[in-house]
Amino acid sequence: MDNTRGGPGNRTGRIVSGALTAMLMMSSAALAQQQAPMLDELVSSGALPPLEERLPANPLVVEPVESVGVYGGTWRSALRGGLDNAWIARTVAYDGLVRYDREWKEIVPNLAESWEVSEDARTYTFKLREGLKWNNGTPFTSADIEFAVQLHKEPTYVGPGGFLRNPDNPVNIEVVDETTFRFVFENPTGVLMDELASVNGLTIVSLSKEYCGQFYPPLNPNASEEAKAAGFETWEAMMLNRCAWATETIRFANPDLPFMNAWMVEEPLTGNASRVTFVRNPYYWKVDTEGNQLPYIDRLDMRVSDSLEELTLMALNGEIDFQDRHIATVANQPLFFDGQEAGDYRLGENIPSSMNTMTIQFNMNHVDPVRRELFANRDFRIGISHLLDRQEIIDVVFTGQGEPFQAAPRPESPFYDEEMAKQYTEFDPEAADAAFKAAGLGEKNGDGFYTMPDGSPLQITIDTISAFRTEWTDMMELIQLQLEAGGIDVELNNIDRTLYYDKRPLGDYDAQIWQGDGGLDVIQEPRYYMPSGPESVWAFRWQAWFNGTTPDVAEEPAPWAKQQMDLYNQLREEGDAAKRDELMKQILQLAKENFPVIGVSLPGNGYFIAKNNMRNIPEPMLHAYLFPTPAPYDPFQWYFAAE
Amino acid sequence: MLGFIGKRLIAMILTMWAVSFVAFAIIQLPPGDYLTTYIATLAANGDRVDPATIEALRRQYGFGEPYMIQYWKWVSGIIFRGDFGQSFEWEAPVTTLIWGRLGNSILLEGLAVIVMWLVALPIGIYAAVRKYSLGDYLATIGGFIGLAIPNFFFALILMYLSFIWFGETIGGLFSPGMENARWSPARVWDFLSHAWAPILVLSMAGTAELIRILRANLLDELKKPYVTTARAKGLSEFRTIMKYPVRVALNPLVSTIGWLLPALVSSSVIVSVVLNLPTAGPLLLRSLTSQDMFLAGAIIMLLGMLTVIGTLISDLLLAWIDPRIRYGSK
Repeated sequence: MDNTRGGPGNRTGRIVSGALTAMLMMSSAALAQQQAPMLDELVSSGALPPLEERLPANPLVVEPVESVGVYGGTWRSALRGGLDNAWIARTVAYDGLVRYDREWKEIVPNLAESWEVSEDARTYTFKLREGLKWNNGTPFTSADIEFAVQLHKEPTYVGPGGFLRNPDNPVNIEVVDETTFRFVFENPTGVLMDELASVNGLTIVSLSKEYCGQFYPPLNPNASEEAKAAGFETWEAMMLNRCAWATETIRFANPDLPFMNAWMVEEPLTGNASRVTFVRNPYYWKVDTEGNQLPYIDRLDMRVSDSLEELTLMALNGEIDFQDRHIATVANQPLFFDGQEAGDYRLGENIPSSMNTMTIQFNMNHVDPVRRELFANRDFRIGISHLLDRQEIIDVVFTGQGEPFQAAPRPESPFYDEEMAKQYTEFDPEAADAAFKAAGLGEKNGDGFYTMPDGSPLQITIDTISAFRTEWTDMMELIQLQLEAGGIDVELNNIDRTLYYDKRPLGDYDAQIWQGDGGLDVIQEPRYYMPSGPESVWAFRWQAWFNGTTPDVAEEPAPWAKQQMDLYNQLREEGDAAKRDELMKQILQLAKENFPVIGVSLPGNGYFIAKNNMRNIPEPMLHAYLFPTPAPYDPFQWYFAAE
Repeated sequence: MLGFIGKRLIAMILTMWAVSFVAFAIIQLPPGDYLTTYIATLAANGDRVDPATIEALRRQYGFGEPYMIQYWKWVSGIIFRGDFGQSFEWEAPVTTLIWGRLGNSILLEGLAVIVMWLVALPIGIYAAVRKYSLGDYLATIGGFIGLAIPNFFFALILMYLSFIWFGETIGGLFSPGMENARWSPARVWDFLSHAWAPILVLSMAGTAELIRILRANLLDELKKPYVTTARAKGLSEFRTIMKYPVRVALNPLVSTIGWLLPALVSSSVIVSVVLNLPTAGPLLLRSLTSQDMFLAGAIIMLLGMLTVIGTLISDLLLAWIDPRIRYGSK
């Protein structure tokens, strides 16, 4: 079986990457290779080996979006507070074994030049590029991958989750030679390549054995004593601090830690930093189609600011070269639009991966049996959905952007099902009344509110968080008015997010709201389509049964949910992308029939800000977390045009 | 005098102990702990964390132990090793995080206090001596406006005006490139060219308040017979006022010096966030919302310590300014 890979939508696609890279190799070898002027001096002074020795035998050739660029410049952006590591993940850190292509459809070679999956989907063989080097010049080989696997097998080491630590499907590594290694899983797995291509797949390539090994007792017998001497309680604590994995914030606080990324830490991100800077990695292993070593941009300069107001003003003032995170809000959009000329920047379009501005999740596993029965009743949820005047919410809160939408895959997704997205979205009090009668609710009382089936008053408390999304406050107030006008007595309970999470295992909540994850990343994030994980708040006890994580609250799911779980287990073990898609469609069909979660509206497109002379930025961009926008659009080939 | 200071020092230590105990308890009051917040943050990004990882972290951080044990570990670390514990978010000792920021806080707020006094004293004295004059009315109006505008709002207005009029973004304490430089005349100048805005904002409300207090106090004193006597003896008007009534009118101001620093730190949190000042305020806010309890605890402890030390200083100053004050209770 050759390299089968599926993107978020898992459209089937096959390419034989070996042939492709061989072709690219020939084309690159024919061209004279060049480097950035800032490196010339270092090379001539002997501080740095010449370019041929720094690049791998077959560097990854990147096709520029518009044209081959010029070297130089500093890309200015900003972090909100010191712990905003996600922006660094989205700009600097995204370079795994493989990566997503710019359409988020296929998985393409990156550090690994090719890979093979065994027929039984249990053995994955990777071939690294030959001659890859960390930014300190030491070779990047299979030994580094082996080290990461070994470290994550330490029970006392607190690493990330993911496939390295999946207790249901343990993995072993076999090193064949310097550039070839195999992951061997106990059970078949069909989702490994997607994990490796996503932002969660970076751990495995983030730990240099030579550097990080010095903190690891099996490689350095004195590691524990040295950690104590350095003020850490254990070697694990020192490892976490000095050798943080993947995109952890403190990874960028240690300039000595080796990197494989286009830029490396220059001014570190410490607790007191008001600026973090990155400078080009002279050993970066990608070139453009003319053989010029990437990246084009010399430096990244990130202002560390707690002040959103300051960031907004900086952007208006043209002091930010590219950014969408934090500043690109609905409220700021007219301001930024008007300021384009003065600030010498442009607005570009983002397509969010989120499928909803808000999902309302009634608790089907409520501890109170009467409420549990009511919320688990599909007709009750249909009634609520019909009482929402979604167009009013869209007009008032989102200045008309978006359309009524249920919790369903986005129109751009191959899983889009118009009926699923639009069912019960029309504002229709009569249909709602019929649905409530079908659900067995009692007649309206003197206050005009429906009652419980036994005639006692029915009041629903919806938990909300205002601190997380400001528009949720406005939306919930409108929804409260709309539901009360339709005869449902609603109370809003605005609480802190920690309490939000603490309530979930207890099961004593009527409904919670959240954002619409899983619009494009349907297979990876099915939380609203089936009880897949703790974020499936509507069926927390069912997902506990499925995942086995909190067995004390686990409950056997309804037959339809159980069927979904069986399908999802098959999907995880399926090696063929087309068959995975088919299984996912069956899961979605069950979700459509049972209508577990109510959605409000499809979010309107977002935007980013880019200076007018910043080039090679494609538009529109898909915006997601697993596909860490803008990194998959190859910022290392962005450049500043001389004007 | 020495006995007085000694007694006060013992009381200070007891107070600090009480502060630490209560602070540690309050930090743990909200539901959940740092890890719950951590999971929530990840979820907000669409990311997830493996429950086994969380369990391991919980063990590593010692959550789930009884309050007294956690408290004892923390306090004994501070007393015996000067170790304020680890910050969970930064995976680093708290002491490496707070000193720089606390230094910025004290510098900035110290300057704000100096500006406050320099502006408020002359205006307050003038307003009292020339009661109901045009100057007094202007000072009164200015004072009320200063009191009425919230600090952070004034900061926002200042940022907006500076952007509209000068095309400048106010924020931070240093220009790019100066942040990590060593102190030099150029860096001091750079600091001052940025610090004027926060100092102006931070000192405004305080200035207004001081003017009102000083004016009221001085008005009381000016009517007293000793002032009349001094005038009758032919003392110059300036000397008459400065030598006695002003000195007495300063008492309430001096006695509240101890509260100035903590009040400035806590009231400046939002201003610091809005103006992006690298002071202790935003760090405290952030550590409280993320329930990074040792970091929050350390900052609260240090604020408590500043208050206690400030109170001691103000007591000593008061005793020095006002000879009527006696030590001890008899």
